[in-house]
Amino acid sequence: MTAYIDVDVRPILRAGGEPFSIIMDAVDRLAPGQGVRLIASFRPVPLLSVMARKGFAHTDRPLDDGDWEVLFSPLAAEDAGQEDAGAGLAFEQWPDPVVTLDNRELDPPEPMVRILAAAEELGPGETLSALLGREPVFLFPELEKRGFRWLGGFTPDGSTYELSVRAPL
Amino acid sequence: MIGAKISRWTMSYFAAALGWLLVALAMLVGGLGYPAAELGAPDTLVVVHAVCIGWLSLSVCGALFQFVPVLVARPLPFDKWALPALFLINVGLVCLILGFLSLAGRIAPAVWLLPAGSVVLGAGLAMVALDLGLTLVSQPKGSALFVIAGLGALCATVALGVAFAFALAGSAGAYGDALLAAAIPIHAIAGLGGWLTLTAMGVSYRLLAMFMLSADLGERQSTSALKFGALALSVAVVGGLFAIGLEAGLGAVLIVAAVLGVISLALYGRDIATIYRSRKRRQLELNMRMATVSFANLAATVTLGTVIIVSGKVGVHVGAFAFLAVFGWLSGLIFAKLYKIVAFLTWLETYGPVMGRAPTPRVQDLAVERRSEKWFIIYFLGVWAATIMLMMGEGQAFRGAAAVMAVGSIGIIHELVRVRRLSDVAGSRRLPAGAIAPSLLFARN
Repeated sequence: MTAYIDVDVRPILRAGGEPFSIIMDAVDRLAPGQGVRLIASFRPVPLLSVMARKGFAHTDRPLDDGDWEVLFSPLAAEDAGQEDAGAGLAFEQWPDPVVTLDNRELDPPEPMVRILAAAEELGPGETLSALLGREPVFLFPELEKRGFRWLGGFTPDGSTYELSVRAPL
Repeated sequence: MIGAKISRWTMSYFAAALGWLLVALAMLVGGLGYPAAELGAPDTLVVVHAVCIGWLSLSVCGALFQFVPVLVARPLPFDKWALPALFLINVGLVCLILGFLSLAGRIAPAVWLLPAGSVVLGAGLAMVALDLGLTLVSQPKGSALFVIAGLGALCATVALGVAFAFALAGSAGAYGDALLAAAIPIHAIAGLGGWLTLTAMGVSYRLLAMFMLSADLGERQSTSALKFGALALSVAVVGGLFAIGLEAGLGAVLIVAAVLGVISLALYGRDIATIYRSRKRRQLELNMRMATVSFANLAATVTLGTVIIVSGKVGVHVGAFAFLAVFGWLSGLIFAKLYKIVAFLTWLETYGPVMGRAPTPRVQDLAVERRSEKWFIIYFLGVWAATIMLMMGEGQAFRGAAAVMAVGSIGIIHELVRVRRLSDVAGSRRLPAGAIAPSLLFARN
């Protein structure tokens, strides 16, 4: 029986904030075998594939008032990491990246400069992916101002930050 | 929020802090306060508070407004408090200093200035502590824990300071008078050791790893320095207040706190060495080289403190010890990090909107390290000379050394102004279309 930690991101969304880091933080604090019960004001489609990569299956259901409840349950260790081809991805999925950047060895803020330069070259709806040594906190507001969406998180060993950026449609 | 925005008032805090530093250095050069006056004389208190609150605390607060949201990936709840808090801190500090000057008989007597100033100042600092503290407790780990402990120490420092101010005005009762008579060392330890040093330690863990491309230290390793530091502080403050309440001497309490404090700093030194060793960036920038000098000054401060305690000369040399801690360690680190932070924030504010769309300069192009380095060297030479002159009791020579420090400081400030004005960015890259020319004193976006 999986125990679930509740994460309600509706207040953050209502305040116009970006709840991704809160969710990732909750995931990082889970004990083995624990899952996350996420309450959000919409169905968080891009999050599903990120959580799948982190080794969580999901089930979701709409709540009465238009909100969504998503249960993320830990997969057995041998299933984790193979989820890209698995259950979570029958929904909207971002296209494969047209650019892949490895910015892990660059001095800050060079990773940010390169990602923004590459992002400007993307066609509508196209994505790029980048590997970084740190969470690019100052990049996100710039992406936001330019209408890009992004998803990111640390690999399970905490050494690499994986970022996907999608150009506006 | 997952991303961090540019803090609007960080530059204003830095500017006010640098202004207070110049005021304090002018007073030292002019012979106001220790060593011309006694260590506890009102004149000395003027200089001490201008330095510790005006220069050091305002710089640290300004940096924290920018750094704390990055640290815990969360915005500050009371963003709008930063500017009124800055105003209250400055007004309170001016009142406090006028109060000390009136105590010294330099201006007309006005005893109410001290309690009034301490309350206004305390209110400003409380706003900062509440804003930052509420953000930090949401993610209490790593560097955030150090800053939380530092803010706790700030509260203790302010509470004692307010009590002293009322006692000096004759309206704090018998316990207030007893505190004023005995608790000044606790006030100083909580301020310099707790608030300023613990916070600087915590922030430096993250900044050093970031600037040198080192792996962040494991949680357990960095918190061992914090545990001993927080314990030292608790012993000094709680134990000290008990000792005063029991009318016992502070000696034993302070020795225990000192031993714990030295252990904490030794662990910190080990951690910093680990970060240096694991760095990927071999060639260090000026800010890191100068931070290294400030770490050496911290080691020298600990050594000096140990020697004067063991040799029983605390009473004679405590001024030199505090001077080295304040100007060698804390001011040195703040100057070094300001140099990097101002350049980075200016770069981000100016070129963020056009990045990837037009050629922009690099962060390094905003500053000229070779020209700036000499001001840092002059500053540190002045600090060392001034410390030695204090130990030798050479008051006149000390003023000369303080003048050297002032020259170095003005040089560094001039470089920071040039960074803000983009003076060293040449040609068409300086302000490409869409870039935002920075204001000197605040961030435009």
